[in-house]
Amino acid sequence: MANPARPADRTAAPRGSGAFTATEHRLGNGLRLVLSEDHLTPVASVCLWYDVGSRHERPGRTGLAHLFEHLMFQGSASIPGNGHFELVQGAGGSLNGTTSFERTNYFETMPAHQLELALWLEADRMGSLLAALDQQSLDNQRDVVKNERRQRYDNQPYGTAFEKLVAMAFPEGHPYHHMPIGSMDDLDAASLADVQAFFRTYYAPNNAVLTVVGDIDPAQTVAWVEKYFGTIPGTSENATKPAPADGTGLPPVMGGQLRRVVHEDVPSRALMAAYRLPVDGTREADAADIALTVLGAGESSRLHNRLVRRDRLAVVAGFGMMRLAGAPSVGWMDAKTSGDARIEDIEAAVDEELARLAADGPTAEEMERAQAQIEREWFDRLDTAHGKADELARYATLFGDPQLATTAVDRLLDITAEEVRAITAERLRPDNRAVLVYEPTGAESAAGTEDDATEDEDR
Amino acid sequence: MSTEPQTPATGTETPVIAPEMTLHPRPEAAEPRPWVFPAPERSVLGNGLTVLRCHRPGRHVVAVELSVDAPLHAEPEGLDGVATLTARALAEGTARMDGEEFAAALERCGATLDAQADHPGIRVSLEVPASRLEQALELVAEAVRAPAFPDAEIERLVANRLDEITHELANPQRRAAMALYAELFPAADRVSRPRQGTAETVRRIDRDAVAAFHAEHFRPATACAVIAGDLSEADLDGVLERTLGAWGGTPAEHSRLAPVASDDAARVVIVDRPGSVQTQVLIGRTGPDRHDPTWAEQVVGIYCLGGTLTSRLDRVLREEKGYTYGIRAFPQVVRSGEGGDGRGALLGIAGSVQTEVTGAALGDLVAVIRGVADGGLTADERNAAVQNLVGVAPLKYETAAAVADTLADQVEQGLPDDYQAHQYQRLAKVTAEAATAAATAAFPLDRMVVVLVGDASRIGDEVRKLGIGPVTVQS
Repeated sequence: MANPARPADRTAAPRGSGAFTATEHRLGNGLRLVLSEDHLTPVASVCLWYDVGSRHERPGRTGLAHLFEHLMFQGSASIPGNGHFELVQGAGGSLNGTTSFERTNYFETMPAHQLELALWLEADRMGSLLAALDQQSLDNQRDVVKNERRQRYDNQPYGTAFEKLVAMAFPEGHPYHHMPIGSMDDLDAASLADVQAFFRTYYAPNNAVLTVVGDIDPAQTVAWVEKYFGTIPGTSENATKPAPADGTGLPPVMGGQLRRVVHEDVPSRALMAAYRLPVDGTREADAADIALTVLGAGESSRLHNRLVRRDRLAVVAGFGMMRLAGAPSVGWMDAKTSGDARIEDIEAAVDEELARLAADGPTAEEMERAQAQIEREWFDRLDTAHGKADELARYATLFGDPQLATTAVDRLLDITAEEVRAITAERLRPDNRAVLVYEPTGAESAAGTEDDATEDEDR
Repeated sequence: MSTEPQTPATGTETPVIAPEMTLHPRPEAAEPRPWVFPAPERSVLGNGLTVLRCHRPGRHVVAVELSVDAPLHAEPEGLDGVATLTARALAEGTARMDGEEFAAALERCGATLDAQADHPGIRVSLEVPASRLEQALELVAEAVRAPAFPDAEIERLVANRLDEITHELANPQRRAAMALYAELFPAADRVSRPRQGTAETVRRIDRDAVAAFHAEHFRPATACAVIAGDLSEADLDGVLERTLGAWGGTPAEHSRLAPVASDDAARVVIVDRPGSVQTQVLIGRTGPDRHDPTWAEQVVGIYCLGGTLTSRLDRVLREEKGYTYGIRAFPQVVRSGEGGDGRGALLGIAGSVQTEVTGAALGDLVAVIRGVADGGLTADERNAAVQNLVGVAPLKYETAAAVADTLADQVEQGLPDDYQAHQYQRLAKVTAEAATAAATAAFPLDRMVVVLVGDASRIGDEVRKLGIGPVTVQS
């Protein structure tokens, strides 16, 4: 579809997807392999995505997928202790792993001549983690993860805001109701038998996608992957992994506003909200992305201009989008008040801006700006071997087709102003959001935890 | 759940679980492919602006780092934060457009612009797709050359900054940094006070103060622009002539950065943060910067002590004890120039530990430092550190922004343009003995300030028992 808002000079801009191609392979055991050559710099990036995230966790075992991710760095049959870190870093590489609602990923970026080492390491732990995993590692990493939770969530002002919003946006029992970090009680409850079962269920070549991007020889890379991963047995068909409870079955809008007021020792009042948006992989999700960019990303967005610049009600105000493939995506609004500004005034201004965009749509200039920003973000991501490898793995794992990564930016640039208006009218409305309000308690009741939080709802 | 495979109960005794795959020996590395840190081309425009250009083929997001000689120590007495507000106000309108229009014009180019004030000067950072470089540079040039500084916008930026300070005071990391700098450096030195000012000083700043700071310090003759990215399509000489080349100003001497003095007598400051579930730890003193011949040795030594998850500190505090998500030791240049004494770096150890084990974690931390001094670093540790620090170079400098940032740092610190390129040779020559000596010299146990942001009522007694030094509590 032609985009009427797209200026003529856009064709002069370099297209990130232009020089970006990928080839696909599949091993006999079901492992999917995606390769992309890029010889600009002597670097090779490996991404291994497992199709398991916190959405697969059982009640009472929240946080298990993430705790498990930590255990993947505790050694496997050929690699003692912290060998994964030691060997990769000692080879001049960098590495890490992350766990989200939907997937768990592991990645190494290596000097190109060390690529084989990274493949050997990933294969060894995919096929033989349980040979090294013991109670001591589990107990140690449980403590580390609990400290990760304290550091990133519990000891930060507003640190658990997103967790609270997610719990409201996805009802009790929904696979996305809880965050990947999990709860302290559930982390305490995880046993060695739990993590062994988790490995046997989800860590198999036919539940993973491997991408290798950079200064690589494709034929040699395929041969190495065959050599190291080829003998790892896939899980048999009658032991297929349990699917997560369906996350997409929710109605398109919440049908009423959920609201919670939290009294905590935070520095200022805050108004936050989570809107239910279309599932990722659809034109509607891309349209929502642009709507949120127009409304709340960057210094020229409507919320920034209105709340920070003109009305001076907020110190920061913006929107973000968490794209989800297995549940409705989430649009996240965050506004921290300036001085003594009142939540009601901020809320009224936000609602006015949403209604205005829903009625009139974005201007041609706004479409141009939003798309130029989104395009640059894509260039940024595709400027590194890791960025490309990660995007290829994302589309292969969550949407079954890595080639979608090479055209993602074109799809975003194809969205029209009318589509942006329509999705705003349909989704960015008060009866489709969970609202979280922070009221500071001041220093006197400084404990500032969930214990003194109060709740109310105005459904 | 019946759909899940049944797992035999194993309890705490782990039977050996034999893998079904074929295990292979660890592969050997192939021949390394050559990589060198790029050499920039240096030139001076007609208006005196120094330009470093660095062509990075295929990098379509171009990075521009403009260093302006407007150091924090040049801020007038009592107006801490005026450099920050000047930097922020650059984007709040010019003769041709107001702040909203300026932001819109930049975003229309797909550009991001950031301006930060730090001890060596103000840094304006632009990232933009190569095809829009000229439009974006035109905006940047307009902002540094002729900012309008509208009264109302300055007033708003002041109010906004005051709001931010409230949030910073609630953040454990920021609180720790504020307390450490105030404790370590003499009150008269600008370094001791928050870079972006305090509520007391920011409140005094108005349009006149901002305009005066700009008029006095923004000159092309003492500024430097680093431009990195795919420049093959750009007529860069023409672009520069039409944009930053049109920035006028009288010549001036580059300002001198004074050496940094510090009082690092061992002591502990607890910043009380009731209810904290973790204690934020920040240990610091000052030491060699890049002008000192032992910098490379110090980089290797500090990496071995606490550069990564497999360094000594995390091996004990995280991977053995589980006290923390991670503790890092680092050298960070604070204020360093050609005329300095080569000791302008903050040498720090930072991380957060569970409240209940704060005393035990600090005790272990001290023991780890003592262990390096007593037993030395091993050849294996030294090799792993050097191989990492040298080997990651091509990864670290994949993007144009990373290259431009390092080149601009070199310029601000008065280092030669080929400093980073040669750094890798210096790192490769560091011995285990030299790394041990540097790490030991970096963190002598009787000369370091320990800041703890946490619940004083729960950690105070344990910390006093450690005998690190006198303990004071701030609320």
